[in-house]
Amino acid sequence: MPKLGTSIRITSAVAAAALLAVVVAGTAGARTSHKLSTISGAGSTFVSPLVAQWISPLGAAYGIELQYSPIGSGGGIAAITSRTVDFGASDAPLTPDQFSACNGCEQIPWALGGTAIMYNLPGVKNLLHMDGPTLAKIFSGQISAWNDPGIAALNKGVNLPSTKITIAHRSDNSGTTYNLTDYLSSVSPSWSSQYGKGVAVNWPVGVGGKGSSGVSAIVASTPGAIGYADVAFALQNHLQYFAMKNNSGKYTTPGARGILAAATSDQKPAADNSLSIVNPPKKFDNAYPISTFTYVIVPLQSKNATDLKHFLFWAVTKGQAGQYTAKLRFVPLPKSVLVVAEKAISKIHS
Amino acid sequence: MSAQQLTGGPDFRTNHLVRRKRVNMGMEALAWLAAAIAIAILGIVVWSVARKGWSELNLDLITKNPIPFSLTNAPQGLSNAFAGTLVIVGLATLMALPVGILIAVYLNEFAPPSIRTGIGLILDILAGVPAIVIGIFVFVLLVSGSGQSAVKGAFSLAILMLPFVARTTIEVLALVPNSLREASLGLGIPAWRTTLSIVLPRAIGGIVTGTVLAVARVAGETAPLLFTSSLVGTQTSWNPSHALQTVPVAIFELSESPDPKDHARAWAAGFILLVFILFASLSARWLATRHARKIAGR
Amino acid sequence: MSAADVTATPTRRPFTGRRVRFGDAALQLVAGGAALGATVLVGLIIWKVIDGSRPSISKYGLGFVTRVAWNPVVGHELYGAGSFIFGTLITSFFALLIATPLALGVALFLTELAPRWIQAPVTALVETLAAVPSVVIGLWGILVLGPALRTNIESWLHSAFGWIPLFGPPSAAGASIFTAIVVLSIMILPIVSSISRELFLGVPPELKEGALALGTTRWEMIRGVVFPYARGGIAAALILGLGRAMGEAIAVTQVIGGGVFIHWSLFSGGDTLGSKIAASYQGASTDLQSASLIYLGLILLVLSLIANIAAQGIVRQVAKKHGVTRGGHA
Repeated sequence: MPKLGTSIRITSAVAAAALLAVVVAGTAGARTSHKLSTISGAGSTFVSPLVAQWISPLGAAYGIELQYSPIGSGGGIAAITSRTVDFGASDAPLTPDQFSACNGCEQIPWALGGTAIMYNLPGVKNLLHMDGPTLAKIFSGQISAWNDPGIAALNKGVNLPSTKITIAHRSDNSGTTYNLTDYLSSVSPSWSSQYGKGVAVNWPVGVGGKGSSGVSAIVASTPGAIGYADVAFALQNHLQYFAMKNNSGKYTTPGARGILAAATSDQKPAADNSLSIVNPPKKFDNAYPISTFTYVIVPLQSKNATDLKHFLFWAVTKGQAGQYTAKLRFVPLPKSVLVVAEKAISKIHS
Repeated sequence: MSAQQLTGGPDFRTNHLVRRKRVNMGMEALAWLAAAIAIAILGIVVWSVARKGWSELNLDLITKNPIPFSLTNAPQGLSNAFAGTLVIVGLATLMALPVGILIAVYLNEFAPPSIRTGIGLILDILAGVPAIVIGIFVFVLLVSGSGQSAVKGAFSLAILMLPFVARTTIEVLALVPNSLREASLGLGIPAWRTTLSIVLPRAIGGIVTGTVLAVARVAGETAPLLFTSSLVGTQTSWNPSHALQTVPVAIFELSESPDPKDHARAWAAGFILLVFILFASLSARWLATRHARKIAGR
Repeated sequence: MSAADVTATPTRRPFTGRRVRFGDAALQLVAGGAALGATVLVGLIIWKVIDGSRPSISKYGLGFVTRVAWNPVVGHELYGAGSFIFGTLITSFFALLIATPLALGVALFLTELAPRWIQAPVTALVETLAAVPSVVIGLWGILVLGPALRTNIESWLHSAFGWIPLFGPPSAAGASIFTAIVVLSIMILPIVSSISRELFLGVPPELKEGALALGTTRWEMIRGVVFPYARGGIAAALILGLGRAMGEAIAVTQVIGGGVFIHWSLFSGGDTLGSKIAASYQGASTDLQSASLIYLGLILLVLSLIANIAAQGIVRQVAKKHGVTRGGHA
């Protein structure tokens, strides 16, 4: 046996070395970053599908290597506050406390999208309807089965199974959570007083997932699950989502039309550049009620100011083109918002 | 028990011996059962990982970079992670190896017995700190306020490697026969020269073993790198002053994704990692036995 | 790594009473510096972790350790380690409970019961599992084990024994404390088994043969000679396994599902100290939240150190009892 053992071990040593050599050779062949400069950012998972599309064309246009880590809006704010990255991204506008902690930062709206309420209900292919108060009851655990009368009332004629509802929410600090809870607070007084709105709330029921991918993963693998994320995630993972009832009584989906209609409800950014387009009043009859702008957070003074400005100008103009936004259901920034954004970007200096 | 009872003397032969034999069979059966269950579980895990990993292996994994949220089916891989792992583990080894050897030299050649116990204790304590706490430590010490980088990641891995390298070197140095040292000193060679040129070279095999085992240990470590080298880009880079992606962190991120294609890449990368660690451990074991035989003069 | 004592038999005397050359002094200084550095490093680790958690310690004090809460909502922030300490203890102890008989069974099997030709492949299997990185075990746990446990075991246990609070409704997608326990027991099985195997091999054959010659059955010999001889070492191995289970953060966070409240049901989600840190540190948006996460790390460090020092203490006692045990079991 010693002889066999020895030859096995010699083979292992040779194999380990060979494996190493293969890996080194392989990675050397990959396109290494010979870019002139790197811009790093972190934050919102909501906007990450769109930012991911920008990496390649940005490199081609300016030689900038864009690095983006989707760690959630809360993480993005923390990262830019500590200047670990060049920019942060958040769907939730900064609070006054966060602005002062960030010490000379500004927020700039740079994309417009909608939060889909996605679900996994095998066997039911219809586009299901949902409204705000019922959704609030679902997320607060008062409705816990799919064939609950509250859901059935909105979906007459659909055969709803008795499957238990599993809520998938965000376990990290999330701007998408802010968007959803902002909506729930405005349609349900009891949600507003019990849980409120924020990047994280005291979820009474459900399973936590990290990032929009985490929530999508839970919904995709759990029959009966309901979760929330930017509509791009629902599309990418072939998950169904609800048509939400807006204030005019229409049921709308998170598509270009619904999101754009919602955006027209607030065309003037506030002093801190934030906008609120959640649950628009009933005259915006095509609006999708859980839409949101999302923001990039940048320091007014940055050592990478030139590259940062190139990147951001490109992002809010060319980056909004249909080839990047259409398939992901992001909507190009409205003119009035674009003007404000460009003015804010030009304030960045080194 | 009296000898009479033990040998099943005339009064007790039928009762106790039979019962003892039954108990024995029962316990042996239990042991076989426990072993069978354990072996079955281990086998299932290893088989499952190997099968899934092997079926997803392809060359793109190490030659292409990742394309997050790809809207096309362009080939992608984890090239940046493999490059980053090579850089970070390599740097960690460069940091841990000399320090570990020096500690072993001090403990074996210079230290009085009380200090020897003390340092042994320190090494054991260090080995017992969970990897995630090491991650927190390096984060608070180096990253907070100044950003991540591959070097800082390597530093956190080096802390994990240090006890391994030091311990194996100590054991190997202790195996070098005293006669060698005394002969060298008797010839007039100074003590420091003896240690560096005579004792250490004899121990080199064991040192290499310890290093390879330490590398195998940290090649798969995820927790400390989450704190020190996780905000990364998609392009392959060998620059240690940037945060670089690593294979374990990539697997961690891909494992929580909803996309089955991401899972496929995670399995394949995990398979390569496992195979490398396994081969490294096996060959280290071989080096150890071969070297121990050599030192002992067989 | 074996639990054998690190301090090998002293072969060297320090170079006293000799004319000290510069080279000697230099080497001693540098090497001693490295040793001192390691000591400083340990102290630095402890200090920095305490330092990082200071904002949380000064706000919550020791009450943090027992409070069951983790509310990161700005304006209502409240943090506590209670549910995570509970999670850590439950998962580690149950994992040890499952792994110990299996590991001892394998070790006994390999040393006393198995035919010679089985020993090599089984040992190889155990070594292979020890080589699997925890993140890959976690990957397997998410994609294979979790769903399998949920469909096969959790639903059956719940429908058959649902009246026992331990067996609540099955988890979503298999992410639960139960899955985490199974994953942890798989991870510590190789460690406990290899150490036990070495211990059993180290029992002097004369003692074993003597007992058998007196007419004991094999089990009686094992119970009367092998176990008492190896008892201390096994205890150390178990504590080592426990420490490993408590410190594992990555594989646990991948399969445990997350959650703050303490549920009776094994099939609910939860978090351990390590898994909570791994899941939340990156997105921690306030200083108090970061400090509280580091506070969790401090508690974990204390628990691991206790386990580690306890294991070392037992090893030292055993070494004293049996004399120096550096057996050559290549």
